[in-house]
Amino acid sequence: MAKMREVEPVVEIGEMTAAVSRERVQKLSRDRRRVIGFNSLSLLLFLLLWEGSSRLLHSVFFPGPLVVSRTFVVLLVEGDIQGYTLPYHAYVSLYRVLLGFGAACLTAIPLGIILGLWRPVYFGTRVVSEPLRFIPPLAWIPMAILFFSGLGRYVFLIWVGVFFPLFILTMNGVSTASPTFVDVARVLGASRSFIALRIIIPNALPQIVGAMRAVMSPAWMCIVAAEMVAAELVGLGQLINNYATLLRMDIVIVGMISIGILGLLLNEALMAVERALFRYRQEVKV
Amino acid sequence: MLEYRNVHKSFDTEAGSLVVIKDFTASIREGEFVVLLGPSGCGKSTLLRITAGLEPPSRGEVLIDGRAPDLHGRHRLGFVFQEPALMPWRDLVSNVTLGLEIRRIAKAERNRQAVEILRLLGLQGFEKYYPHQVSGGMKHRVAIARAYIVDPIILLMDEPFVALDAQTRESLQRDLQDLWQRRKKTVIFVTHNLEEAILLGTRIVVLGKRPATVQMDYEVRLAMPRDPVSREFVDLRHELRGMLA
Repeated sequence: MAKMREVEPVVEIGEMTAAVSRERVQKLSRDRRRVIGFNSLSLLLFLLLWEGSSRLLHSVFFPGPLVVSRTFVVLLVEGDIQGYTLPYHAYVSLYRVLLGFGAACLTAIPLGIILGLWRPVYFGTRVVSEPLRFIPPLAWIPMAILFFSGLGRYVFLIWVGVFFPLFILTMNGVSTASPTFVDVARVLGASRSFIALRIIIPNALPQIVGAMRAVMSPAWMCIVAAEMVAAELVGLGQLINNYATLLRMDIVIVGMISIGILGLLLNEALMAVERALFRYRQEVKV
Repeated sequence: MLEYRNVHKSFDTEAGSLVVIKDFTASIREGEFVVLLGPSGCGKSTLLRITAGLEPPSRGEVLIDGRAPDLHGRHRLGFVFQEPALMPWRDLVSNVTLGLEIRRIAKAERNRQAVEILRLLGLQGFEKYYPHQVSGGMKHRVAIARAYIVDPIILLMDEPFVALDAQTRESLQRDLQDLWQRRKKTVIFVTHNLEEAILLGTRIVVLGKRPATVQMDYEVRLAMPRDPVSREFVDLRHELRGMLA
């Protein structure tokens, strides 16, 4: 008799869960179609507005999407005056960004985790870390030029721009772990290292990956600025800078759009990683 | 085996010292299901946290088998918190086996025990589910399993069913009773619900408004499992309600 009582409600719950998830899948694909529809519409609207205002202004300094897309194809196939094609410029910039970003991840994330677990050290060193944090990456350019050359210079400047936000976001993710999770583990006799490695870090991981995504845009900001002051010929920042002096705004816009598209792709890739790793995180809907 | 001697707890706040437990003395025998009954905010939860060693008493002492509670595994305790606090990155089995993992018990053995206790709580087939995929009541069952599986010498439960709807709460109360009758434990169960207290407890310790002091210590002699609509149950509830008023 007691057995019957146990089993009964759970079968019900199980069926309900299955029904709910089926419904959720249907709803998801409906939502996805809607999202794609809206995005196509807003892209079309944006291009129309751009083309229209360009025709109204009728200025060589503000080419519309038709002119820009012709330039885009030329850059893609034939390349610029020096013969460097657009994919090559993009590849070089992307390579630099990923190196700088990787260096920042390898330093900022471990340090953020350590100081997040050990807050007194952070509070005891704030007088040094806080002013450093507020120095804009662009102010580091003279130092970068003096002390680094070639690839190292770019990596350093991206590192400077990405390190602090990533460090702070990681540290906050670690130090805001649910106190109840920690209590649960403490009552069960967990050691400090078990709590750090098995409770606090896994709990902070979604926030850490989110932070990696958030610092992608400062990383691109830094690379473009760094390439603009450097003497080398390749890179999207260099492309923009060179042709700005020649007033070839169509090429400048191609460079700008390329950065935007690369940023979007990197963001989507990291979001896919997030979705795969943290399937347990439900999006909150209001 | 569990002894409270003049336990006193106060917190320092900006408005001054707030006394939450005053001179609490009680002695609890092995195998008792003690319900601490008292109004919300009367210091019951703090008393549980002190028992678990999560917080020290300001004065007085708690002795488990003659020794103060400590968190370094000398006393095996189970604690069920108000919210289930399941770790979302672990499936139900690895949530349940957290305490065994901490004790470095081999994975095969951990899983064997988890499957068994999940079956006792009616959760067979859900081992590989993640917390966000199951209902609130199921999460609470998992939290109870996580505390039970380490075979604690004392199981501390802090209003574990307060956030549940009436129906789910009833079915969990029944299952907790079943589980407790099969595997007798010393339980300290905190609640502010008189009916729940009579349904589950072998002994009810009534605490007054903050600071918590013992107002009444009552042995419940009804046979288990108890039926909340039976004559004896209703009579006892009236009697106790009268004594509390």
